[in-house]
Amino acid sequence: MEDEQSERLRALARRRFISGLISVGGLAAARRAFGSNFWFPSTNSLSNVTEAGARTLVRYPQKTDLILLTDRPPQLETPLHYFQTDLTPNDAFFIRWHLSGIPTTVDLDSFRLEVGGHVSKPMSLSVNDLQSKFEPVSVVALAQCAGNFRSLFEPRVPGGQWGSGAMGNARWKGVRLKELLDAAKVQPGAVQVGLRGLDVPAMQATPPFQKALQVDHARDGEVMIAYEMNGEPLPMLNGFPVRLIVPGWYATYWVKALSSVMVLDQPLKTFWMDKAYRIPKNEDANEEPQHLSPETVPISRMAVHSIFVQPAQDEQLRVGQPYELAGVANDGGSGIRRVEISKDGGQSWSDASLGSDLGKYSWRIWRAKWTPAAKGTYRLKVRATSNSGETQVAAQWNRSGYQRDVVEQQDIVVS
Amino acid sequence: MSNWKIIVADAVAVMAMTAIVAGQSANPQAGASKKASKDASNQVHHIAMPQYPGAIMQGPNLEVYQKDCLICHTGRYVSMQPRFSKAVWQSEVTKMVDAYGAPISDADQALIVEYLVAVKGVEAPVPTAATPK
Repeated sequence: MEDEQSERLRALARRRFISGLISVGGLAAARRAFGSNFWFPSTNSLSNVTEAGARTLVRYPQKTDLILLTDRPPQLETPLHYFQTDLTPNDAFFIRWHLSGIPTTVDLDSFRLEVGGHVSKPMSLSVNDLQSKFEPVSVVALAQCAGNFRSLFEPRVPGGQWGSGAMGNARWKGVRLKELLDAAKVQPGAVQVGLRGLDVPAMQATPPFQKALQVDHARDGEVMIAYEMNGEPLPMLNGFPVRLIVPGWYATYWVKALSSVMVLDQPLKTFWMDKAYRIPKNEDANEEPQHLSPETVPISRMAVHSIFVQPAQDEQLRVGQPYELAGVANDGGSGIRRVEISKDGGQSWSDASLGSDLGKYSWRIWRAKWTPAAKGTYRLKVRATSNSGETQVAAQWNRSGYQRDVVEQQDIVVS
Repeated sequence: MSNWKIIVADAVAVMAMTAIVAGQSANPQAGASKKASKDASNQVHHIAMPQYPGAIMQGPNLEVYQKDCLICHTGRYVSMQPRFSKAVWQSEVTKMVDAYGAPISDADQALIVEYLVAVKGVEAPVPTAATPK
């Protein structure tokens, strides 16, 4: 079934490319090909596209208007104003696929999650099997792209030019990966668990998207396979029917439309672990453009970080008018214990109040009341400290724009 | 002066063609706005993907770029980038060939780098054309 599905998706990806080949002067050519009776949308009926400054908002199935980075494969960013609630709505949740052959049709009658490799009892499980034969568990966890905030790196680096919206906080329900692995009986000598989804590259030569976790991590009882997101099935573009949840780790490991869990007795050899998604081997994933770190390691746990959601970038505040600064803060699995705000560019700091505690893998909303006393431009800063004592850094750069943990700032005009 | 030219026809034609090929509605909004569909047995879940290929940036060797690069990804992979040096663009093209298996000859690689430097190089003039209508 997997081969058939793969070939179908590859064919679809190629077809989309072929349709793209008629690009230059394409309208005239298409008119010739289809005759003048064929209905073409007029140019301004590309109205799902809203140009707002540099941001293009588009609407995809099961999703609300999101910021378009790329359309094939799709990469869509969540507008910041959705980050005012503890849980990010499913329809506003960001999207990031690596390969153009993404699943757009899933038949639950034939879909199977294969659990195999270095095990003595390989299993082939339907979504119904996952829901009925294993104990359901749930966790609130932040999913965040490794390259979230990449566009803030200076000097700029190539890659998906994300702003702040390549993350979202959700309540995930599913089964523990440990339970599946125990049922499949992992054999001695297992070192990693390889993970793969239904997505396929447009060409055979392109490495299929795969990730690996160390076997002990995969069996920690927290890594899970989710079939629900905020009480609903996952949207297709967020990994329907099931996706991996790796609490505290960057979302590159959260394989979408997960179809294969392979226990390995050798480390997985793949571009996606060996070359991509690697960071300088030091505490803050830091290096200099002229002195790149000679050693890199696969990215893993999320860094402690915090952002402003209010005020928005272009918002103006009024003298004497009470305002509530607000935002979100996260770390990689100990939880947030403190968020501090500065209104004078970092000379003095005061504590923000923290919102609901939804668990150590959730982000934490913070708020701080402020009534500006004088007109002028204020440099606001925000920094978070985790329960494990980690805090943010003043400056950071790496070649791939990963794992941002810089203290963010925002200049705001009070009039 | 400007080496950008917005070809809306490109986007339109791609959408129309894709809709026909995929046997879907020619109205791009029809697929975008509705929920995922399920068949009678309620087991087949399906979404119809909208197409937002955007404007193709005009530059030298455009046809090589289109032929070799757009197999796997949309032109937005380039148009969303800031300006970079020729060395950065060269390394990106090399990565596409070495890591992703893009079947691009050495000669074509040089032509593609030329295109990328022209449309998104640090030395290129700042484009005057604004956003697509």
